[in-house]
Amino acid sequence: MSLQMIINALVNAALIAPPAMAFSLLFGILRFPNFAIGGYITVGAFAAYTFNVVFGLSLPLAAAGAMAFTALVVWGTHIIVFRPMQEQSAITLLVVSMAVTLILENVIRFFFSSDVRGFDIPLERPWKVMNAHITPEQLQIIAWSLVIGVSLHLLLAHTRIGRAMRAVADNPMLAAIRGVNAARVTAFTTAVCGALFGLTGVFAGLDLVIEPLVGWNLTIPIFAAAILGGIGSPYGAILGALLVGLAEEATILVLPSTYKVAVGFVIIAVLLLLRPQGLFGTAEIKK
Amino acid sequence: MSAYLISMSTFVGFFMILALALNLQWGITGMVNFGVAGFYALGAYTSGLLAVKLGIPVGLAILAACLAGMSMGAVVALLSMRLREDFLAIVTLGVGEIIRLIVLNEDEITEGPRGLRIDAQPFGTLVGPELYPVFYLGLVALCVVLTYVVCESIRRAPMGRTLRAIREDDVVAEVLGKNVFLHRVCIFAVGGFFMGLAGALYAHYVQNISPEVFMPVLAMFIWMSVIVGGAGNNRGILLGAGTVMVFLEGTRFIGDFVDVLDAEKMSALRIILIGLLLILTLRLRPRGLLPEPKFRVNSN
Repeated sequence: MSLQMIINALVNAALIAPPAMAFSLLFGILRFPNFAIGGYITVGAFAAYTFNVVFGLSLPLAAAGAMAFTALVVWGTHIIVFRPMQEQSAITLLVVSMAVTLILENVIRFFFSSDVRGFDIPLERPWKVMNAHITPEQLQIIAWSLVIGVSLHLLLAHTRIGRAMRAVADNPMLAAIRGVNAARVTAFTTAVCGALFGLTGVFAGLDLVIEPLVGWNLTIPIFAAAILGGIGSPYGAILGALLVGLAEEATILVLPSTYKVAVGFVIIAVLLLLRPQGLFGTAEIKK
Repeated sequence: MSAYLISMSTFVGFFMILALALNLQWGITGMVNFGVAGFYALGAYTSGLLAVKLGIPVGLAILAACLAGMSMGAVVALLSMRLREDFLAIVTLGVGEIIRLIVLNEDEITEGPRGLRIDAQPFGTLVGPELYPVFYLGLVALCVVLTYVVCESIRRAPMGRTLRAIREDDVVAEVLGKNVFLHRVCIFAVGGFFMGLAGALYAHYVQNISPEVFMPVLAMFIWMSVIVGGAGNNRGILLGAGTVMVFLEGTRFIGDFVDVLDAEKMSALRIILIGLLLILTLRLRPRGLLPEPKFRVNSN
């Protein structure tokens, strides 16, 4: 494996680690695999595009705006769609979340069409390190992804609301008895996750392209990373993201690159069959 | 216009067969299958390739497609028996996507994105070309009835009660001495059989199949049909498949009145409407338009 492939794998991992952590957090609270994350990421990418290209804001400002907007969308969808359906089965909610992705994607297609777009930023020459190329944007993605991992850890481990988030994810009823306001914690979690999905949209726009399917194409690698790390374990998700990134790059050595999408699925299938709780998750006791 | 109605009804037929098969797997037995599009593709390509490349008679090719779907169902069920249902969703979605990727990439056999041209049609020589669409609609309708009868007899038979018991609580079913494993594998295989049939019928109807038809969004439409119609109730499934297809196709006519929207905007709007239909149905009628009748014990 060349240095270039390791760099590509790192960039991939940095791209999917934050949403994988967010997916893991959301799963802890909502308890179904939320396919709507594809739509959320697409919303983030297009919100940043609108702020950056249409309104002419600088990219950091546009990214902040996109994070706020996506947080609002994720929270809004939770209130309007998912909360009233809480009593439905996980599978029904899963289908609904796919419908949410379809709706978000197509609302964007309606207003922006399917054309491929990019941010309005100066083109920079990639840096060359020992025959391998890395663009400044890719380096920024890796740096920001690390910052997010650390801040999320600090939030979960050392703040009051972080403790409440873990409590609700662990056992909602017990948390309620101990006086944790579950509604507020859920609102906060959806907003934080929404901001992370929005940022992923910005990163995807920087590293890939901005188009309505950008989020859907990232969904399966994100699931793979989260499941690999053990669902409900945000730290595991980081390592899961690294492994998925490496596996995707390694596949290109033996298979045509068009099969890359299948890698995530194969990882999920093999892992679930051998170790259903993920690499770092603890086995759940089924009641 | 009538040609359009005939073609639309034929497509409703494909949807109904797929939805009935999914209802057997999920609505009645509680096994999740998000790879519907993959099974459909497997049926379409098996039948199409056998007829085109090997010159096998269409009837046999369609039968082979059903058997391919059946074997695929059995294999997927065997592999994924240990999985929790929400993870099974992701794995089956993956199976469907992998089938599509194989069809897309192995273009030396499948013609890939160029599309596979299929000239062979069942009874194509017996029926004149002007009557053929009506004849084919009849053939599809016959297959829908056949699927319905099989699914409904399974549901009504003592076996149907076992299946619903497995859906509600597989441990209880196991304790009562039912072979949960065998039932699950069989039902998944039977569902696969009918999905393969739907695929083959589709292939010989459109006569040109290409991978982009078999995107995961197709599986979504079938799932919506089952949920909107009422999971577990076969008559509800027919209604659900019809409703979803009317929403998908019928909304094309909005385009005739609103000419400010181009084709892309219209197609986006249609999918938004379908999504809203699902969410609204679940909000207003959480168990579907025609819910499964509640199980009752005679109290006296």
